[in-house]
Amino acid sequence: MSTSSIIHTSDLCMRYGSNLALKNVNLAIAAGEIFGLLGHNGAGKTTTVSIITTLLAPSSGRAEVCGLDTLRDSRNVRRRIGYLPENVELYDSLTLKENLLYFARLSGVAEPQKRIAGVLDFLDFTTHENEKLGTFSKGMRQRAGIAQAILHRPRVLFLDEPTSGLDPQGVITLRQNIKSLNEELGMTIFMNTHSLAEVTKTCTSIGILRNGELLYHDSLKQTMAAFPDQASLEDVYLRIDADGR
Amino acid sequence: MSKAVRTIFFKELGDLLRRRSFLLLCAALASIVALSLIIASLNYHKQLSDYQQYAQTLAQSGGAAAALPPQLSPLQQLRGSIEYIEIIGPVLAIVAGYGIVAKEKYRGTLRLFFSRPIGALDLAAGKLAALALLWLIIILVLLLVMATTLHFVGGALFSASTIAKLVLSLAAAWAYLMFWSALALGLTCSSKHLGSALLISFIAWLAVVLLLPQIGDTMDPDNQVPGGLFQSMHVDKSHEHAIMAHFGGYESARNALEETSISKHFERASFAFLGVKQIYNQQPVGYIWGDTWKDTALLLTGLLASAAFALTWCNKRNLIGRSWK
Repeated sequence: MSTSSIIHTSDLCMRYGSNLALKNVNLAIAAGEIFGLLGHNGAGKTTTVSIITTLLAPSSGRAEVCGLDTLRDSRNVRRRIGYLPENVELYDSLTLKENLLYFARLSGVAEPQKRIAGVLDFLDFTTHENEKLGTFSKGMRQRAGIAQAILHRPRVLFLDEPTSGLDPQGVITLRQNIKSLNEELGMTIFMNTHSLAEVTKTCTSIGILRNGELLYHDSLKQTMAAFPDQASLEDVYLRIDADGR
Repeated sequence: MSKAVRTIFFKELGDLLRRRSFLLLCAALASIVALSLIIASLNYHKQLSDYQQYAQTLAQSGGAAAALPPQLSPLQQLRGSIEYIEIIGPVLAIVAGYGIVAKEKYRGTLRLFFSRPIGALDLAAGKLAALALLWLIIILVLLLVMATTLHFVGGALFSASTIAKLVLSLAAAWAYLMFWSALALGLTCSSKHLGSALLISFIAWLAVVLLLPQIGDTMDPDNQVPGGLFQSMHVDKSHEHAIMAHFGGYESARNALEETSISKHFERASFAFLGVKQIYNQQPVGYIWGDTWKDTALLLTGLLASAAFALTWCNKRNLIGRSWK
């Protein structure tokens, strides 16, 4: 396995019954990147993230985060990652602060109150700390989810469809948050998304998954240079997807 | 207790104590227990007064009391209360054990939970510990209700032995209710569909709490006639044993059926301590323990088995693995 990459998978396969959801996926993502994994519905994006975040065990192959095996060293992997699922399900009956306190304690954060104050300040979310999650909009839930995911200062942050269901203002705020986390805190971001526009504005590298196979993986700059005849990332995506059929 | 288990324990306990509908059901149980105790106390006083009146009438007519005073113990008044805990208690315990996992499975909160550096065993241990403390609080409330009603309505005076018997009976009740909560928790973890977990739990309740003891009771020849078959035929105990010796196989089968029900072990142990069963009435705690320790041991074995079942089935694959696509 490569020592320079912070996320590395080799021949990753996942089988659900007779359905092969992932077929020999080999990924290498360098520290400091904002990586966007693209693909149709059911392409295997969530399965890939689930395996790398230790939520699922692969049928075969390996995944490493920060040089740690996701199966053999899963707890240490989880100490180094943050995860934001597509639908952020925190506890509605608790306030934002109570939710964050719970997750901070589960993550073993020292001085959790201080850390929560810092994170909410960083996300400009302090005014809502005493409100119950049940009253939050989708966009506010996403930000609460991000706060939960970065409390323990992870080295890698996984975001599963982070802009799904957000209004334009919510998307802009989330994009700013992602960029700040990457630039100011040096977090590597792994993002599953359908939104090509979002990838263009946010990501530094991309991967394209189709029916469980990784068709393409390169930096965004290289990708655009490799397809000079294509006007946008959308055209590139459609071209790669069509070639892969 | 590890820091993670402690964190889960406090959160779950807070959640349980915030569930108003559940607390209302527990308050209903406490009310039924108190009401049953009041009725039993009135009956107790009536029996005492009937005997005193009988003795007084005899004394006035110059005769001596021919019948012995009724063998009454204040703790016997708790018979109905214990029966309510035996039958309705498991329903509440199932609701608590089911709800503590179902809310997370239904809302999908466990995906975030398992992205933290903690294991499924921490989760199960934290939830079981919260349920254990919840039942301890409820049992303490019931103890308070029982002791207060017994004293002020039943007119009972408490000796150290009476208190010990009451506490031991309620300790058995705690183990019994925890058995049901742990079982429901394990079933909810292991079931793919939440509805199935609840259905299986209630089928188990129906079989263990109602059917098996009922079949055992129905097969008991002494239960065929009000007041007892042998007593109505004026057959004394030694002859009763001699007659029943001819039905050894039948009696073993009947007993085996009852033995499979944890409710029966709880009932036997608590009825013995409370003196509901006449042979243990007025007996010291040590004597009763020596005679009924098997029932308490089986009750505790049942609790340990259901806790082990919950800890085994509360794993990541059962809780989130099956729902991934």
